[in-house]
Amino acid sequence: MLSFLLLLFLNALLATVSAESDYHERLNLRPLPQSLLASFNFRSKEWASAFAQQNFRYFPRSLGQILQHAHTKELHLRFSVGRWDAENWGSRVFHGAREGGNGVELWAWIEAQNEEEAFSRWLTLVNSLSGLFCASLNFIDATRTIRPVMAFEPEGNHGNASNLHLLHGMLPHEVVCTENLTPFLKLLPCKGKAGISSLLDGHKFFDAAFQTMAIDVRPVCDKAHDDCYLEMEQTVDMVLDVDRSKRPQDNPIPRPLPIEEIECDLSKSYSGGDTCYPLKKQAEPAWTLKELFGRPLKGACPLSDEEPGSEPLCINVPPERTINISTTGPYKEARSAMDTIRCFHLPQLTEFDLVLPEQQMTTGLVRQQPQLFAARTINGHGQERGSAQSVITNPSTTDAVEFVYLESLPWFMKPYLHTLRAHVANSPENPVKETYYRPAVDRQRGTHLEIRMVIPPASTLTLTYDFEKAILRYTEYPPDANRGFDAAPAVIRILSPQQGDEKGSYIRTTPLLLPLPTPDFSMPYNVIILTSTVMALGFGNIFNLLVRRFVGADEVPAMGAGGLKGILAAKLVSLKAKLGKA
Amino acid sequence: MALISTILALRRDARILKVPPYLSAFLILVGVAWLLVLPLDEYARNTYVSENALLPGQVHTYFTGSEHNVFRAYRHEVATLDQWSVEDRSRRLKDMFSESNLKVASQKYTYHVSGRNISNQNVYAVLQGPRADATEAIVLMAAWKNMDDAINYSGVALVLALARYFKRWSLWSKDIIFLIPGDSTSGSQAWVDAYHNAHDPLTIESLSIKSGALQGAVAVDYPAGPWGHRYDKLHIVYDGTNGQLPNLDLFNTAVSIAAGQMGISCTLQRMFSHADTYRDRLQTIFRGMLSQGLGHATGPHSAFIPYHVDAITLVTVGDGWHDEMSLGRAVESIFRSLNNLLEHLHQSFFFYLLLEAKKFVSIGTYLPSAMLIAASFSIMAIAKWVESGRPPKPPNPASTKPTTTPSPSEKDTTTPEPPSPELPMVVAKIGAETTLLPTSSLEITERSLFFPLAFVLSTHFLSLLPLYTFNNLPQAHLRTTFFLAANLTPILPLLTAFLLRRLAPSRPSAQEITLIQCFSLLFLGMILSTLATLNFSLSFFIGVLCSPLSFVRMTRNYVASGAMFLGLAVLNPVLVVQVASQVGGVGVLEVLLKAAEGWHVWGLWTQVVVWLVWWPAWFVGSVVVALGFF
Repeated sequence: MLSFLLLLFLNALLATVSAESDYHERLNLRPLPQSLLASFNFRSKEWASAFAQQNFRYFPRSLGQILQHAHTKELHLRFSVGRWDAENWGSRVFHGAREGGNGVELWAWIEAQNEEEAFSRWLTLVNSLSGLFCASLNFIDATRTIRPVMAFEPEGNHGNASNLHLLHGMLPHEVVCTENLTPFLKLLPCKGKAGISSLLDGHKFFDAAFQTMAIDVRPVCDKAHDDCYLEMEQTVDMVLDVDRSKRPQDNPIPRPLPIEEIECDLSKSYSGGDTCYPLKKQAEPAWTLKELFGRPLKGACPLSDEEPGSEPLCINVPPERTINISTTGPYKEARSAMDTIRCFHLPQLTEFDLVLPEQQMTTGLVRQQPQLFAARTINGHGQERGSAQSVITNPSTTDAVEFVYLESLPWFMKPYLHTLRAHVANSPENPVKETYYRPAVDRQRGTHLEIRMVIPPASTLTLTYDFEKAILRYTEYPPDANRGFDAAPAVIRILSPQQGDEKGSYIRTTPLLLPLPTPDFSMPYNVIILTSTVMALGFGNIFNLLVRRFVGADEVPAMGAGGLKGILAAKLVSLKAKLGKA
Repeated sequence: MALISTILALRRDARILKVPPYLSAFLILVGVAWLLVLPLDEYARNTYVSENALLPGQVHTYFTGSEHNVFRAYRHEVATLDQWSVEDRSRRLKDMFSESNLKVASQKYTYHVSGRNISNQNVYAVLQGPRADATEAIVLMAAWKNMDDAINYSGVALVLALARYFKRWSLWSKDIIFLIPGDSTSGSQAWVDAYHNAHDPLTIESLSIKSGALQGAVAVDYPAGPWGHRYDKLHIVYDGTNGQLPNLDLFNTAVSIAAGQMGISCTLQRMFSHADTYRDRLQTIFRGMLSQGLGHATGPHSAFIPYHVDAITLVTVGDGWHDEMSLGRAVESIFRSLNNLLEHLHQSFFFYLLLEAKKFVSIGTYLPSAMLIAASFSIMAIAKWVESGRPPKPPNPASTKPTTTPSPSEKDTTTPEPPSPELPMVVAKIGAETTLLPTSSLEITERSLFFPLAFVLSTHFLSLLPLYTFNNLPQAHLRTTFFLAANLTPILPLLTAFLLRRLAPSRPSAQEITLIQCFSLLFLGMILSTLATLNFSLSFFIGVLCSPLSFVRMTRNYVASGAMFLGLAVLNPVLVVQVASQVGGVGVLEVLLKAAEGWHVWGLWTQVVVWLVWWPAWFVGSVVVALGFF
C-alpha cells in the first residue's frame, strides 16, 4: 500500500521567493505517472526609470522596445501544444495561469486614448511579435480579436487604469515548433548556454506529451516605496513521457523490445515460450536529466542570484526516492516541505546531473485534484449547421465553483444565442448568472461570448448551443481547405473558490474543428483552364487579323511561284542583287 | 418560325405516337448493354491513389518480434472472455486497454426492433496523439462478433495489441480510437450515432469521452480462435448503409499496402477466386451492385459512412500462409498513411463500381446506364400525355375521300351513306386562300385530371401501410403477414379493377386510364433518375424490374391481357423479394428482420423505395391491365 505524504505545492514555494534580485531562474521537476513534469521559470526585472530610458540589463531589448513602441503595459503570450491530462496528472501548473490554448494565445493591456488607437497599437504589437517569435501572430486581425470583460484581470499594478484596453487573440491552428523556441531562448540572459535553460532542446521539448511556453510582462509597484519595476516571466512547462524521452536520438523508433526484456505475467495458464502477457510496470522508472532532455545541465547561470530559497533546480518526490547527484563541482542541497521537495544550488561551469534509479515505491505524493474538468466537442453532422457542447464537471463534494466561460468564435461559425442551454444534471436551477455577448459581423469581427456560471458540488454542467456554418467566398479558404476550420479553445476562469494567487486559475478546452462546406477547388481550376484556352484561341485569331497586313495576291511579285521553284527564284534574285552590288 | 411550326405540326402526326415504345425499349436495351460493356478494358480504369499525403506503403512497419508474443497472450485472454457476461467482458477489455495507459470508456445500447431487443456494450479507448489537439481522430475497430456471428477472437486481440504498440509512438498527429463494438452492425451504429450526438439517450448511452472529427475508420474481422489460423487473402468490404461508399483513396490505400507492401492479395465482394476474366469482372460488378442496391450494413464500417467518415473492413479469408502479424503490420501501415492526412479524404471518387481490387469504373462512365432506363419511363409518360390529349377516335381526313371505303363490318352497323357529309367542317381563310377543315381537328381535348391524379396519389399513400406494418410488426407475425401480402398483391389489382368497373361502369375512361399510366410512369422516371445519383444500383435494379410497366396497356383482348397480367404478377415486388431471398440462400424472415433492423437502427431506406415507389408503380400498371378483364 502506498501511504501518502502531504504535498506542499512548488508553486506556493515559488511565490515566497523574494523578488529582490534582478534575475532568477528555477526548474521544478515532478514525476507524474509514466512521465515527468518539468516546469521552467525565468524571471527578470527592470526598474521603470531604467526601462523608460531604454537602459536594459536583464530585460531583452528587442521585446522592451516593442512594448514601448506599442504602448503595451502588460503582455501575456502563450505557445502551447498537446493536452493536459487532468485525470492522471491532477491540477495544472500555476493553476493554469501560465498556460495557453492550443496554438498561440496573446492578450495585452494597451494604453490608448480610445478604442481605435488601442486597436492600431494592438496591430503594431501583434505584427512586431510575429517577427520576433517567428509565429503567424500577424494573422490575429479584427476577426480574431476580442475585448474580454470578465475572463482576465491585470496581474500588474497599474496606476491609471482608465486608459488601458485589454485585447485578446488566439490562433488555434498555429503549429508551435523549434522556430518559436529559439527566439524564446534568446530572450534569456544566459541564452540557453548555461543554467537550467541549457536543458531546453527542441527535439525533446517538442516530443513531449504536453508543452507550453509563456511570456508575461507586468509592472510591479512597491506600494511603500512607490518605485515600480517591470517584471518579465518566461515559463516553460512540459510533460515528458519517460520511456519515449529516454530513447536515444539516433534510434528514436520504438522497436519491439526483445522478449527477454518484457516482464511477463507467469500466472497465466497459457504463459509460455511464445506467449507473454505483459505486466504493467509498477516501479518508478529510472532516468537522468541528460537522458530525458537529451543534453546535460551545464551548471548554473552566473547571472542568477545565489541566495538560499532561490535554488535553480528543485524536485518534488517522496523522501524515500533515491536521488544520486553526478557532478564534479560543489553543490548544495536543501530540503523542505517534509522533505518532499529537494532543491539544489548548481555549481558553475560544471555539468550537473540527477540520477534516479528504478525504484519500487511504497509512498506517493498527494495529487491535487483540479477544480473543474472541461471538455468541448462539436455535435451533429452535415454542412449546414451543428451544435457545440461543453461538459464541465465539478469533482469537489463540498464547494460550488463559480467561473467565467469565454468563447471567441470565428465569424463563419454563427451561434444562435436563443439555443444556448446550460443545465446542471439533477438540478433545476439555472447555472447562468451573467452573460456578455457581442455578436459577430461578417468578415469584420468574431463572436465574443462570456458567461458567468456556478456549478453545485459534485455535478456536471452541460452547455450547448446551435450554430450555422457560413458559406465562404472561394478566395477565403485557406490551404488544405478540406481539413476544416479551427475554432479557438474556450477559456474558463475560476472565480471562487480561489486557489491560485493573484494570477487566477484557468482551464482551457481543446479547439474545435469546424467542417465548412468546401467547394471542389479543381472545378474553378478547370474553368480557368477552359476559359483561358477559349480566350487564347479568340485572342490569337483577332490579334492575327489585326496585325497581319493583307496584300492582294497579284501585288506580291516574287512569291508568284511557290515551292522549290519559288525558293530557287528568290535565291537567284538575292544572288543577283549581291553580285550587282559587288 | 418555320421550324417551330413544322415541329408543332408533327404533334398531330399519328406516327409520332408509334415511336416512344420503340425508343423506350431501345433505351432499356442500351441501358442494360451499357452495363455489360463496363468490364471491358476500354471502359474500366486502373485505380490510383489520388491524395498525395497518403503515401501508402512508404513506411517501414515494426509490429513484429515480441509483439507477437503479446498478441498471442491477448488472444488467449480474449478467448477466455467468450463465456463471460457482457458486463464482465467489457470490464476486462477496459482493464486491458487501461494497462496500455489509454483513456477507456464503455457504452451500453439497446434497440427495440420487431419485438426483439438488441442489447450489448461497446468498449472503446482513446489514444491521445502526443502533439494532437483533439481536433481529428481515426478509428480502429474489431467487433466482438463478426457478420457471421462468430466471435472475432484474433481481431479483438489484434486491436488490443496494436493499441499497446501504437501508444509507444510519438508521431501520431491525430487521436486514435480503438473500438470494440458489441456486434458488427448495431454496436458501431450506436457508437457513431452517440459520437455525433444523433442518438436517443434513453436507450443508447452517451459517450463519456470523445475526441475530434473522425477522419477514417478501419475494422478488422479475423475470427481465428486462440490457436490461430493462417489466412490466404484479405477481403475488403466497403459498402456502407444505403449504398454509400467510402472514398476510393481509402480502399486503394488498403489494397496497395496489403498487396504491394505485405504481399497479401486482396479480394472484394466475396469473389474469393477472381481470374480477371470478363465473366469474373462482371460478376464482381453485379455483386457490388446487389450489395449497394440492398443498402444493408455489410460490416462494422457501414455505420460510419453516412456520417461522411470513410471506412472499410478487412476480413481474412481462406487458408494460406499469412499470419496475424502481417495483418497487424498492414493495419499499422494504413494508420501511418491516414495519420499523414492533412485534410479529410476528398480527392478521389465517392461513386464507383469496382471490377477487381485494382480496376474500377467511375460514375461518369456507369451512370448513363441507370439514367437511360429511368429516361425510358419518362419518355413513355410524355407519350401517354400526348396520347391522352388526342381525341378519342382520331378522325382520319383520308376517310372523306371515296377511295377508302368504310370496312364491311362498319357498313353493316352504320347507315349506308358515307360519313363525309356529316363530318362538320369549318371554313378557314388565310389571305386569299380558303380551306375546309374538319371541326374536330381544331377542337381541344380536355384532360380530366382529377381521377387519375387521385388514383395514383392514393395508391402511393396507401403503400405507407405495408411500409409501416413490416417495419413495426413483431417477429412472430412477420412471416404470416408477408405471405398474406404475397397472396394479396396479385389479387388486389384484379379486385380494384373489378370494383372500379362495378361502382362506375363508365369510369375510368380510356383517357383516364392513359393518364393514370402517364402519372405513374412520370413519377417512376423522376424518382429513378434522382435515385440513380444517390444509389445507382438500386435505381438500376428497380428500373429493370419495372421496365414492363412502360409497355402494358388496357386491351379487351383477354389473351393479351392475361399474358400481360401474368407477366406483371411474376414481377410483383413481393414475389421478387421472396424469390430473391430464396435464391440468395437467406430466408424471407431474415430479410424482413434485417430490413426492420435497418429501418430502426441503421437508417436504411431501401424499403421506402420498394414500398413507396416500386409497389405503387407495379400496382397501377396491373390495375390498368386488369381493367381489360372487366
